[in-house]
Amino acid sequence: MAQQKIELQDLDLQQLVEVKKQLEEELSHLTSSFGQLKQAQNRFADCIESCKSVDASNKDKTILVPLTSSLYVPGKLANVEKVIVDIGTGYYVEKTTEDAIKFYNRKVDFVKENLDKIQATVAQKQGNLRSLVDMMQYKMQIQQQEQKAAVKA
Amino acid sequence: MSATITALQRKLETDSAAYQTLQKDYAKAVESRQRLDSQLQENKLVQDEFKLLKDDANIYKLIGPVLTKQDKVEAVTNVDKRIDFIQAEIERVEKQLNDLQEKTEKKRMELVQTQTALQQQSAKN
Repeated sequence: MAQQKIELQDLDLQQLVEVKKQLEEELSHLTSSFGQLKQAQNRFADCIESCKSVDASNKDKTILVPLTSSLYVPGKLANVEKVIVDIGTGYYVEKTTEDAIKFYNRKVDFVKENLDKIQATVAQKQGNLRSLVDMMQYKMQIQQQEQKAAVKA
Repeated sequence: MSATITALQRKLETDSAAYQTLQKDYAKAVESRQRLDSQLQENKLVQDEFKLLKDDANIYKLIGPVLTKQDKVEAVTNVDKRIDFIQAEIERVEKQLNDLQEKTEKKRMELVQTQTALQQQSAKN
């Protein structure tokens, strides 16, 4: 972070190129994290949808239970009150469907918070990158002018 | 080619090799630091979730493909212990990182010194 205090003007072109590379790396890392978080958020939202369909109106209805992604067995929805939720690190907890929905809502909010944070950082870094590119162009122009002047002289 | 130059060149080679290993070690340490951090985060989330649960809640642990029922107290102490362990690990890796950083910096200085010495020597000849 100390780098941000250095004035862009004080760096020469080569250093600017280095900084640009670094910034671009950070940006691509951040955007890929953003995508992953977005996916996680969607997964949690899907879980909420699934929990909602486990309600009294669907009791005793037949469902197809996936054993693998391509193999299903018929089953009957016997219990619509409780579901078992993966809370992470190999722990699963039995919850009522309402509690499960609350749980997933909390997760979605948690992920959203982080998404907002990343978005802010991405915007800031993009701003940095833009001013950096501007400075590079400016420096290049100056260099060209100097070269022209040198040729004339 | 004088003997000093060959000696300096040899030193430069071994030093730069050592420098590269140090850098590799550093990258590895950074990676494990990041992994520990994400593990800590995940465990903390589980810990928070346990706090929200009633004492008689059914908790299961995934062992292989099987869910086995576990006591809440047991599960909570287990996660607490894990967090302690991970924090201790983080401290250890942090120390390792500092240590490696120092070493890398030192090696870098050495390298620069050898390089300038080498340049001076070759300029003389």
